[in-house]
Amino acid sequence: MAALRRRLWVVGGAAFGAALAASLLFPTTATEAGGLGLLSLYSLARMFAAYALALVFAIAYGTTAATNRKAATVMLPLLDVLQSIPILGFFPAVLLFFVSTFNGSPIGLEISVVVLVFTSMAWNMAFGVYEALSTIPHDLEDAATEFGLTGWLRFRRLMFPAAVPKLVYNSILSWTNGWFFLVASEVFAAYGTTYTRPGIGSLIAQAGSRADVGGIALGLAALVVIVLGVDALIWRPLSGWADGFRIDVPRGETVRTVRPYEWLRWIPRFPGMWRRAATRFKPVSHVYVGASLRLEHAYARHPSVPKTIRRVDLALFLVVFVIVVSAGLVGLAGLFLHLPADAGEIPAAALSSFARLVVAYGLAIAWTIPVAAYVGRSAKASRILTPVLEVFASVPATALLPVIVGFALAVTAHASFGLQVASVLVALFSMQWYLLFNLIGGVRSIPGDLNEAARSFGVRGWTYWRRVLLPAIVPSFLTGSITAWGAGWNALIVSEYFPFTRDVHVEGLGWLLDKATFITGDSQLLLFSIFMMIAVVLAMNKLVWRPLIRRATVRYRVEAA
Amino acid sequence: MQPISRVSLGQIVGLLKAVDEAGGDADVAEIGRSVEMDLDALGPIVNAAEFLGLARAEEGNLTIEELGRKVLNAGLRQRKAIVREIIKELPSFQRLTERIQATGRPATREEVLAAIEERFGSHNAPSIFNALIYWGRYVELLSYDSRSERIELRQPSPPAA
Amino acid sequence: MTKKKVILEVNDVSRSYFEGGKEFKALEHIRFDLYAQDFVCIVGPSGCGKSTLLRIIVGLDRPTSGEVLFEGKPIEAKNPQVAMVFQSFAIFPWLTVEQNVELGLEARRVAPSMRAEKAKRYIEIVGLTGFENAFPRELSGGMKQRVGLARALATDTVLLCMDEPFSALDALTAQNLRDEILELWSDPALPPDAVLMVTHSIEEAVYLADRVIVLSGRPGRQVAELEIDLPRPRNRREPEFYGWVDDIYSLIV
Repeated sequence: MAALRRRLWVVGGAAFGAALAASLLFPTTATEAGGLGLLSLYSLARMFAAYALALVFAIAYGTTAATNRKAATVMLPLLDVLQSIPILGFFPAVLLFFVSTFNGSPIGLEISVVVLVFTSMAWNMAFGVYEALSTIPHDLEDAATEFGLTGWLRFRRLMFPAAVPKLVYNSILSWTNGWFFLVASEVFAAYGTTYTRPGIGSLIAQAGSRADVGGIALGLAALVVIVLGVDALIWRPLSGWADGFRIDVPRGETVRTVRPYEWLRWIPRFPGMWRRAATRFKPVSHVYVGASLRLEHAYARHPSVPKTIRRVDLALFLVVFVIVVSAGLVGLAGLFLHLPADAGEIPAAALSSFARLVVAYGLAIAWTIPVAAYVGRSAKASRILTPVLEVFASVPATALLPVIVGFALAVTAHASFGLQVASVLVALFSMQWYLLFNLIGGVRSIPGDLNEAARSFGVRGWTYWRRVLLPAIVPSFLTGSITAWGAGWNALIVSEYFPFTRDVHVEGLGWLLDKATFITGDSQLLLFSIFMMIAVVLAMNKLVWRPLIRRATVRYRVEAA
Repeated sequence: MQPISRVSLGQIVGLLKAVDEAGGDADVAEIGRSVEMDLDALGPIVNAAEFLGLARAEEGNLTIEELGRKVLNAGLRQRKAIVREIIKELPSFQRLTERIQATGRPATREEVLAAIEERFGSHNAPSIFNALIYWGRYVELLSYDSRSERIELRQPSPPAA
Repeated sequence: MTKKKVILEVNDVSRSYFEGGKEFKALEHIRFDLYAQDFVCIVGPSGCGKSTLLRIIVGLDRPTSGEVLFEGKPIEAKNPQVAMVFQSFAIFPWLTVEQNVELGLEARRVAPSMRAEKAKRYIEIVGLTGFENAFPRELSGGMKQRVGLARALATDTVLLCMDEPFSALDALTAQNLRDEILELWSDPALPPDAVLMVTHSIEEAVYLADRVIVLSGRPGRQVAELEIDLPRPRNRREPEFYGWVDDIYSLIV
């Protein structure tokens, strides 16, 4: 708790300092600061709306996939594909659909922003729920069955608690992802029209297009404060709370069951009021309990009923799935019959996008491994550097676009080379943090015994790196790499075409997508490019990452003693 | 408190039973063999039984004391009452209860840990704290909520009708 | 001797697993009855299917052929009068001792005040008063198994089934707990009426049981049903005790 309070002070102090500095340096933009709070609230509201949807989806999807084996054979691969798709590529289509459905009213725009952010959060969380539920120890499930836990009670007592640790962990990742997409989606141009919703993301983008340095700084400062504030007030307490739900706690590790908001004790809680509310609610809950009891009796008398319900459920799901897939196939066939004029560019574009991502990935590896080795092994460095790194990491790469493009064009003499640099930098900023924090975790998890053994045998310097450190971080390196590449592919859409900063672009898949949607309105090229990207991403996952992970878990796993 | 940290009453009673089965007086090494526990595991339990005054160890030989005999013959509830009288008298335990009485409010884990650290060093503090909570809860003189991390005094529940 | 009341009938139970069209037999033709006041142990080498048999008896698994009747009716997993204690304790880490003990009652929609009362009683019976609000990770292994025991008894259990309940505990804790279970079982005022336990330890079976059912390995077949007529409390150092242990050893090996 003390640590949390300290963190709050740091965040508050940093916010205040940044605001003060900004207002002194840029007095004209300081007047905008008043509106900043409101804009932040708009952005936050969208995030929470999307998160709430994602949470409901993840629990429903994950639970169904984990409890219904037949459904899982379809649901899991589908989730795999959804997770690999660069979502931003679909955004224009989603946007146009909702805008036309709501006759161009802002509601349509808001919905499409929320939907986009939702799609960046939901899959990963659903996977988390599925994984957690499918790894519940058999004895615990047997005990639940033995003591008659069914339906809602089983969910409340067994399944939901078992899913909590993974769900919270993945929620934090999803939330970070969400910021990336929120910032990108608050300003969007499609078919010659620019759609804007008031928020922190649009504030930064607009300041960028005016080359208003003060505005950008203010927006970024506000964003950092919000991201870190939510982290301190929501995610950290929640992950402490989630620890209490872990089933397999390694020996020697103590887990404390904490109430997350104990430090808010001083707020009066009006127990009387809640009790009164509860008594009011009681008749309702009795009706519910009675109904479910009757339903269960009905089930008991007709054992085939639940099976029938499950079958109907599955059948519906399959029908929807088949329709979607066949629609996709028909569309694909149509595409092949009438190839769009610039379809020939696609392979070359994919190659140059891929090349830039490789460069960005290389740069990310080059700096994150040494830094992670340093931060992960020195308690002092960790104490000082972790908060600093967290502040930097809290800024979604999409918010940095104006800064990066301005910087790259300013420092390079050659404009087209400068754009390439900018593009690589955007990809780098999207990828590097996933790698860094996974690696730090990996370095920290090297058992103390292993380090001591190495020291006692005089293993130092390069030998230490080669024999101890590098092998030990392989698993976390791979995990970080997969996430980083996912983020990199998603960044293509914003890293190859910069309509707000200057109307410039570099060749690549992202640019083709942007061109097809924003400029030429060529839906065939759009679909083709997206399919190309999905194909590359899936191929990389199946052919590169999966086999590597399989080998790494066998060879480099450091057993927890 | 230190000798009875990391040991449960169940283990101590189990040890007394093993000695009793061997005739009330047994060689520690032989008991270790018969229950398949090495000295690392058995040693602390023997020390704890001695510390509580339930058994006496002399030259590797373990004898059940009168109090130990009482514990063996008692039911769960009487056993608890006997142990309560022993725990009550331990200085570490008294310091904790007096502290709570003096301040008139529940003690927090943080405070109690700090007090233990001052006396026994930070290395031993967590296990001593856990022992205080375990034995305090068992004899029903303390209640502890691990979520709010607060320790309160309580009255032992009345004997069953 | 008066005829005792039959609680459980295991009628010619067999269990096979099918893989790629092939049949793998785990249990073959198991049959025995269980009476009120019985304490029966099932022993056998590892892999003889004794845990599978217990899972079938409590209704967590179905036999391939044969049937299990509890008080004349086919057994169902959720039947509260037959309760199970697990080797790995299987208590819920996110629930307190009290909530864990109340679990079976909650599932039967017993009113909260009644639940609390019963939980309090059984927590007291297993000697955990004072630890009501503790989470499992604050408890020693022996205490965790006491929670499992209280949870199993709280539903007014007639038949208590235990699957290697002491094998995850150290020898001293286990011995103390064995005696407490014997006390519970022999107290007519308290549940359970009968105990059925699976173990791989022959000594444990001879120490606890009135009757021992001996299974052979792969597939599990019933090789003997022995009445242990040693007086209680039994002393594991006496020659008669060892006679029984040796007899059972020779049946299995």
